[in-house]
Amino acid sequence: MSVSTRFGYLQSLRGFAALWRTNGVRVPLHPLLSLCAARTQSSVSGDLLPRTSLSSPPWSEQTSFVSAEEERSRHAAVVSTVNDRIERQDFGRLFAVVHFAARQWKVTNEDLILVENHIEAECGDRIYLEKVLLVGAEDFTLVGRPLLGKELVRVKATVIEKTESCPKIHMVFWKRHRFQKKRTIVQPQTVLRINSIELYPRLS
Amino acid sequence: MVFLTLSCWIRNRGPDRFWKVQELLKHARHFRGRKNRCYKLAVLAVRRAFVYATKSRKLKKRNMRTLWITRIAAATREHNMKYPILMHNLNKCSVQLNRRVISDIAITEPRTFLSLAKLARARQQEGFRAALGDGKEPSGVLSRVMLQ
Repeated sequence: MSVSTRFGYLQSLRGFAALWRTNGVRVPLHPLLSLCAARTQSSVSGDLLPRTSLSSPPWSEQTSFVSAEEERSRHAAVVSTVNDRIERQDFGRLFAVVHFAARQWKVTNEDLILVENHIEAECGDRIYLEKVLLVGAEDFTLVGRPLLGKELVRVKATVIEKTESCPKIHMVFWKRHRFQKKRTIVQPQTVLRINSIELYPRLS
Repeated sequence: MVFLTLSCWIRNRGPDRFWKVQELLKHARHFRGRKNRCYKLAVLAVRRAFVYATKSRKLKKRNMRTLWITRIAAATREHNMKYPILMHNLNKCSVQLNRRVISDIAITEPRTFLSLAKLARARQQEGFRAALGDGKEPSGVLSRVMLQ
């Protein structure tokens, strides 16, 4: 499960940018630069080598190295801030991405969902939607890999209505072949109301 | 004296023609021109309409997917990244969000989308570091330089 916060990543971005600017980016070019400077007071500024397809590698060279301990401390800081937020229940409205009936739904409280098939539950039954892929609040997101644990998030829903869809007409016609078929398709539908999404403080 | 032949000449062609015709014309009432009133023209138009509806139920799925992909690509380019990189790295991180949900998130939850983009970028950098390596020999390989 990976966690991200606004603050943590912004700080790390600023840190990366500072490192990139202070470190010398292309070390092997330095002796060439010094040599050229020693030879002539050339007025050519900028690239001293002509830029061809092979003068720089095809991947971008921005990999600034952060030591493993620093990375671990940053991740721990991010996780602790998010944990605090969850324990204090400091977030406003939560949204979740739920996998249900072979589809993924982006869901909040008081949402209505129309599912195009039959569900083994009666009207008025309360249901937990267990396959949660992502939960987000205003300041943090919890991304599941691929699912989040059942002890962490709970999405409660109620079955409101079980109906049939409007009759859809399936027609096939092949011209000049006297071939024509018509069939009416009526599918069962279920309407769910999402009552609440709850987060329990148990991040590791 | 009762005249019976006249009544034998009267045919009852069927009482339901009006309703059968109305059943077809009701599907044509919103069409333009005489096709919404005249049965002969309406038959052809309604048949065409039903066939188009059947075919486009399949096309709708394809079109929606391309729309989602376009939207996700536009949103990733706002964050200096490209669509295939985002999807490939999210797959490698085993985040199984589908394109519909990612496009909804890109529209309504920009911060969450930014976090997904950063996750993909970090995974990409990890992949680069793993591929480029430390510059040392891989373990279990002996080269001539090492033997000498």
